[in-house]
Amino acid sequence: MSAGIKLSPIPTLPPPVDPSQEDITIVMRRDLRRALAKPIEQRHWGMVIDLQRCTGCQGCTIACINENKLPPGVVYRPVLENVSGTFPNVSKQFLPRPCMQCEDPPCVPVCPVAATYKRPDGIVAIDYDVCIGCRYCITACPYSARTFDWGEFYGDAVCGAPTAYEEVPSLEYGKVWMREPGTSPIGNTRKCQFCLERLDHGELPACTETCFGRATYFGDLNDPEALVNRVRQDRQMMQLKSDLGTNPSVFYLL
Amino acid sequence: MKLTRRQFIGASATAAATYSFWGIGRYALAQSRSSAISDATPVDKVLREEKTFYTSDAFCASECGLKVTTLNGVISTIYGNVHVPYNAGTICAKGGSGKQVIYSPYRLKYPMIRVGARGEGKFRRASWSEAAAYIATRLEHIKKQYGPESVIMDGGDMTDQDPYWRLFYTYGTPNCAQHGAICDTPRRFGPQVIEGGMRIEPDLMRPVLVRQPDGSLKNDYSYANKMVIYVGWNPFVATRINYESRGTLAAKANGAKIVVVDPAFSNTAAQADWWLPIRPGTDADLFAAMLRYIISNNSPGDPERNYIDPTFLEYSIGWPAFEAAFRSWWNKTDPVNGLPYFSLEWTAQRTGLAASDIRELAHEFGSTKPAALVWGMNGTGHHFNGEVVSTIGTALNVITGNFDAPGGVIDTALVRSNKGGNNASDYIKANPAQRVVNGKTVTGTSWDLEMDNNGAWPAAFWGALGAYPKQFAEGVQIQYGPFAGYSYPIKAFVVRGGNPILSASTKDRWSEVVTAKDASGAYKTELMVCIDTAYLETGMYADVILPEASYFERMGLSDIYPSEPVMYLRQPVVEPLFEAKNQVEIMNLLAKALHDAGDPDIQAKDFWGKYHVQDDFWNEALLKAPGTTNVGKPLPYPHLPEGYKLLGTPDSLEAGRVQIDHTKQQVQGDPVTVDWLRAHNGVAVWPMAWYRQLAKSGGIIATKSGKMEFQFGEMEKINAFMAQSGGKTPYMLEKTGMSQFPTTFFWYETVWNPYTNSNYAKYRDEYPFQLISGRIHQSMSATQYVDWLGRISEEHLWMPLNDDKTYHPTVVDATGGRQVAGVHRLRAGAWSIAVIQMNAADGRHLGLQTGDVVRLRNPLGLETRGKVWLSELIRPGVLRVPPGAGNRMTPGMGQTYEYRNITPSSNKLLDPDLSSPITGMSSYNDMVVKVIKA
Repeated sequence: MSAGIKLSPIPTLPPPVDPSQEDITIVMRRDLRRALAKPIEQRHWGMVIDLQRCTGCQGCTIACINENKLPPGVVYRPVLENVSGTFPNVSKQFLPRPCMQCEDPPCVPVCPVAATYKRPDGIVAIDYDVCIGCRYCITACPYSARTFDWGEFYGDAVCGAPTAYEEVPSLEYGKVWMREPGTSPIGNTRKCQFCLERLDHGELPACTETCFGRATYFGDLNDPEALVNRVRQDRQMMQLKSDLGTNPSVFYLL
Repeated sequence: MKLTRRQFIGASATAAATYSFWGIGRYALAQSRSSAISDATPVDKVLREEKTFYTSDAFCASECGLKVTTLNGVISTIYGNVHVPYNAGTICAKGGSGKQVIYSPYRLKYPMIRVGARGEGKFRRASWSEAAAYIATRLEHIKKQYGPESVIMDGGDMTDQDPYWRLFYTYGTPNCAQHGAICDTPRRFGPQVIEGGMRIEPDLMRPVLVRQPDGSLKNDYSYANKMVIYVGWNPFVATRINYESRGTLAAKANGAKIVVVDPAFSNTAAQADWWLPIRPGTDADLFAAMLRYIISNNSPGDPERNYIDPTFLEYSIGWPAFEAAFRSWWNKTDPVNGLPYFSLEWTAQRTGLAASDIRELAHEFGSTKPAALVWGMNGTGHHFNGEVVSTIGTALNVITGNFDAPGGVIDTALVRSNKGGNNASDYIKANPAQRVVNGKTVTGTSWDLEMDNNGAWPAAFWGALGAYPKQFAEGVQIQYGPFAGYSYPIKAFVVRGGNPILSASTKDRWSEVVTAKDASGAYKTELMVCIDTAYLETGMYADVILPEASYFERMGLSDIYPSEPVMYLRQPVVEPLFEAKNQVEIMNLLAKALHDAGDPDIQAKDFWGKYHVQDDFWNEALLKAPGTTNVGKPLPYPHLPEGYKLLGTPDSLEAGRVQIDHTKQQVQGDPVTVDWLRAHNGVAVWPMAWYRQLAKSGGIIATKSGKMEFQFGEMEKINAFMAQSGGKTPYMLEKTGMSQFPTTFFWYETVWNPYTNSNYAKYRDEYPFQLISGRIHQSMSATQYVDWLGRISEEHLWMPLNDDKTYHPTVVDATGGRQVAGVHRLRAGAWSIAVIQMNAADGRHLGLQTGDVVRLRNPLGLETRGKVWLSELIRPGVLRVPPGAGNRMTPGMGQTYEYRNITPSSNKLLDPDLSSPITGMSSYNDMVVKVIKA
């Protein structure tokens, strides 16, 4: 935790009847505080997505756009769908896909200017001020988790200028980004960073806080008491493209 | 090179030209403030300037609790309010998209007066005072010439229409309607007549606040559910009841079996244990088969077949008559298939499901306790015979002991908090009126002139909005009550926040009646007013448009369908943009104009002299909260008298800071106020209880007898009312072969269904597809212009099949409708559009591929066109489209409007002459079509 950053208060709800059953966002926010009290290199931020709880509503996709002030064409967390079978024996799976924050991220070594780097807490970050927009990393990412900010605005499609809400700065990586033409993050590669700025304040990533099915868990993978670890016990789990050896920090419960 | 926004704008001539579009009014203000922040500003400084508001959504009628942040007066983030147990911090894609509603360039900005023909969409900007005077002058003329009842006020698709109703009831018209009339009234009919309720939902809202044995109040997060059956209901994507998303999946993880009965493999079906792809319009058949099976095979001594819980006989009346009427059908044979009604074989034939599956479903529902049987809006509410479905469905839940049982079903309309009564309906019901009927002066009340209940729709408890065009064309014929024999024309239609021209009945029929002219060339409907934030089709037909503050700019109250009383505040999080005004301001402004135009009924004391700011109005509404009774297990307030009505804040009731009136059987704590809500995270939550129908007082049951009525007292009353005026049978009821409204079990077939109704069997071969709709985030009347939703796809109904297109956007602004400078291009695949979901094998058989444009033609000769999406996720013989998302004719729909000619509208094809015979609901999902390759 950086010095001087104030943690936002955890909402107070009526006490739970059964202490083991509580609003999971409150539980996870307590977990975050424990993690933030540790030195950064001792925590490992990770996400667990319970595919049996995803409703496919795409609320996370939009909550992320809202929080990170993403422009057209830049999406950090799409929800992919896979339909299989023939009528009436069919199935459909939803797969929310944030950045995997790989242990061994293929995007990092390809960056010619070291703008993309792995933080001690496991998050793969981009230094927008260093990024030259070469987009090698976009090609390197096996999860298509990176998109490029071409400088478009939603208002462009109507009136050729940004709409008022596009004037509100993004606070990605704990910095103010006004996103004006010619300045970062326009011209940079962008991706999910687990809402790093919110984490610094003890708040959950936008997708986790709003998740409609309460399918998304977040926390410190190094903390066995954290819900993000407890929820994985006794469940079948997968990482995407685990054969590539990237070792994602995002796990899916099947 | 580092440019600031202003330098950039200044440097680019084209950008500067378009920038002026935004450089007006509050946008300019917001921009100049926001420019005080730069990349060099420390994050903490920005966060200190951020403001947080607890408010509530109204983008859809789910009205989730929200936590919204603003920066320099502009909305920054939208989260859920974790303190509101209804959504407990969660929001869907639509809930998160509200920024794009309020800041949409397409929104209505200024009052406007029509300069072209109705429907042309040509306007000029007017001042508020000019627009109000225009409306008031005409309303006064109409009132004098035809009587105030000639004016219809439609409060639309929001639950905060009370200020408008108050104005128009006080003006003197009894004809105030709202969207509920075209939402799902057949779905609500069964609960309404049997328990006085409206909306049966599964007990899935968690947390609920429950009184503990030690006297404390705690949040209960446990799920008791063992089975939930959703019939024609897709909560994951229709998102009408927020908690059914997280709740269904949490209950499932806890071992509950989830069943989805739906012709399409919806997102809810995708996560269910069992999907039954039923033929559209046969839900009544399935329910009747379940009831027959349960009654026939009930065996109280056998734990496997102990289906019926006889406790319900203690709090109900009329079951023997209902059962006898039901059984009387068992030996009759169906003319379509020759099989005995409600038998498994009969049901299998009609529903297209296997008899063994139907038996298994009936057995499992009967033997699993607790279980919930829930029917939906599109699935049952939009079929002609939805009233049959909801009646049998209610009976099934009640006789199996699942009503208000933990893990069973809850009629949420019976347990939610009251939020009003200040809409002047008491005034209009008592207001004396005199009219000359057949040469005689007759005295009654204004209420006796109400167009539906005294006219062709005596039992339409929310009005028959879908059948309005007939009354626009023919006038209102009062058939019952003191004014029987009186008739009057419809002369003004004031619509707020709804889009009836597109969505109630067919657009063709509506545009025909609202553009009809008399011999002198004047419109027969003399005044059309539209009050809205979005520019919808109805607005295009308006003489006057008034821009209403969006839900982020106005105040209101939300109480939507929770399992326990919950009341939360919608509050302005930003100032209204442009010249938009909130509904209390508009009420006062129009009231003042009417007063100035000489209306004797509109006085300062009821409007601008009473409600100085919008808080005043909503504080008055809150006086009635929660208004629920202290009943159920565990008792919400054991320290207060059982069975008494509760009024006041949760904390005052909890502390016993109350006055108890034993005569009125009422407990009064500190009144809930807007300020109290603001100080308490925006929400008041009162305790949950179950078995609330078991109280000696009748508990939550709201029928006249205080018991569940399987002999429908309400219908008996209406029949008696009709008999008093000569007993003429309403025309739509007559079509079903009934001369009176049913007073116990009843049955009639749905329309335009060749598989169940012999009148339509002849269409089976020529029109081989049933056309239905499926509600998704993007399918509400005012949703598709939202960019974020336009870019995501949904359920093989809203898919990225747009063509590459260059277009000139048109916005409604100070000049009226105006094409914005610049040409824009949408690349193919960049925007989702409404499509026709078709079974893949059907498509191959017709030689079609995904993306092919087809025409759908029905036996009435009505057509719509669109692109097909071949899918394995739908039953063969069924076509599904998103309602209200295709063939949009208003430029206010933005990019969606650009694709109006290749997107389908199911409403266009509905039969405008048929509405559900009791509730008057349009039969949106009863139609057959043939597919013609375009």
